[in-house]
Amino acid sequence: MRRNDALSRLIDGLSSLKLTLVCLALLMILVVACTLAQVELGIHLAVERFIRSFIVWWAPEGSSLRLPVFPGGGMVGGVLLLNLTFAQFRRLELSWRKGGLWIVHIGLALLFIGEFATAVLQVESNMAIEEGQTKSFSEDYRNMEVVVSDTTDPKVNDEFGIPASLLKSRREISDAALPFTLRVRGYYDNAALSRSAPGSPPSVVTAGVGAGMSFSPRPAVTADGEINTSVALVEPVLKDGTSLGVFLLSNALGAPQGFIHEGRNWKLALRLRRYHHPFSLTLKDFKHDRYPGTEIPKNFSSLVRLKDAAAGDDRDVLIYMNSPLRHGGLTFYQASFGKNDTLSVLQVVRNPAWTLPYVSCLLVALGLLWHFGLMLRKSLGARKV
Amino acid sequence: MRTNFAALLPILAILLTAACRDEGISRARVPKEEAPAPAMGMGGEMPHDEAGHDHSAHAQGLRWTLPSGWKEVPGTGMRLATLVPPGGLKTEGTVVSLPGDSGGELANANRWRGQIGLPATDEAGVAAARTKLTTKAGPVSVYDFTSGGAVKTRLIAAVVKSGDSTWFFKLMGEAGATESARGGFLQLIKSLAPDAQK
Repeated sequence: MRRNDALSRLIDGLSSLKLTLVCLALLMILVVACTLAQVELGIHLAVERFIRSFIVWWAPEGSSLRLPVFPGGGMVGGVLLLNLTFAQFRRLELSWRKGGLWIVHIGLALLFIGEFATAVLQVESNMAIEEGQTKSFSEDYRNMEVVVSDTTDPKVNDEFGIPASLLKSRREISDAALPFTLRVRGYYDNAALSRSAPGSPPSVVTAGVGAGMSFSPRPAVTADGEINTSVALVEPVLKDGTSLGVFLLSNALGAPQGFIHEGRNWKLALRLRRYHHPFSLTLKDFKHDRYPGTEIPKNFSSLVRLKDAAAGDDRDVLIYMNSPLRHGGLTFYQASFGKNDTLSVLQVVRNPAWTLPYVSCLLVALGLLWHFGLMLRKSLGARKV
Repeated sequence: MRTNFAALLPILAILLTAACRDEGISRARVPKEEAPAPAMGMGGEMPHDEAGHDHSAHAQGLRWTLPSGWKEVPGTGMRLATLVPPGGLKTEGTVVSLPGDSGGELANANRWRGQIGLPATDEAGVAAARTKLTTKAGPVSVYDFTSGGAVKTRLIAAVVKSGDSTWFFKLMGEAGATESARGGFLQLIKSLAPDAQK
């Protein structure tokens, strides 16, 4: 009996309007704090720390401690979703009269679920493409990868991309198609590279151009437009245990590094993470229109040729502000430009949940129309009496 | 009123998915890029010349005579020239010149060994592997390394100092093809002489 009382009180609490108001107030505080934090952290990291986290952590300066100081957007949103769901099932009767409110609540719940799904599933990258150039990959502008390429074929490279998250979490990386294991000796999000001074102590790096270099780790940069100089220390080890030496890889090094094994050329590099697509875009023309007599931008647009053999697509597409290209589950937005208006940067977004906010808005609008329609009819009926 | 807790399952599923997010190794076969970065050799390792200087090998201190049937292709970046032996795509020669001693012979020998999957060696090991040739350009150190494995790769490198620079001549590729080209490569090395234009 007592257990049922406790459960009942929990359900009452979870479905209470007070909890709704507390959650909304917390969300408002989070939004303000996140906006202010963007000055130092940049948009992406601020959103990650405040909105797309379950707890907001604070690390006192000069300390390795991390203290939980506030519920994150994930937790508040989750509680609000629970609150909405419990209130729905506990307080609203299932009837035609309350049908509109049911639909509104479902629409709101879908909005929360859509944000969760976006946080988990969305992948953003950039495609920087010059006029006349064809590309079939986009690059993550925040995350790196170590790429191991078999470059033996004169026309095609066989590339294995190992994301930084894997390099940080594993000490050895292997793949059935690779004839060696990659031992990870260290990964640094940001570092300063320099030539080793004469008389420097021996470096852990024994192979490649990095053998003559030294580095010192630096705090990672997070501001928008800044890119880290990442460093990975990797040691290819053959199946028989033979080490091929420790390589220093960095996105700041343009030099190819590698070795030959069993007659095949292998190259190692660290670069911005690439996402390969089964279709290509060729930039035919980029336009940067200005208002006459001024330098004020009026319009940015990219005329691209889309070629997708598998889908039978071969057509011109004009991408401009608020008119993205949607193809193959990706959305290409006009994002930036450069090189005297001969280079266009497209933001490439993969978000399987992109339709959820639209469906949510439609449901809320439909629910409100239903509810207020019924109220209006009731009101008109009462006047006639 | 009855509470339907089944409605909470999708929410829990999403939260669990968020907690278990992980990334794996991706694999793609991609066409070689339109403007490939200039490489030093088949296992290239030297920095690019970002300034894009014009390197004319014969204008920089050394000259040589091509053996019969060999071709010379002007290089790009740090590579001054590519040497192509007769009928061979399976082995290739390169010429690179760098300021100073470029790390010394031990470091370079170990770098070459690493390129073909051989473990690093010490000063004594490098001395044992070294043979000397005398040319008009001065003494030349020659190294000859062959990889292990079922498909063997062979690398023959010659190092010569000229003024403030160190010159590297390297022949590398499939072991049989490199053996066939070895005589011509050593003949080219023996023909090295200071460039009269300098």
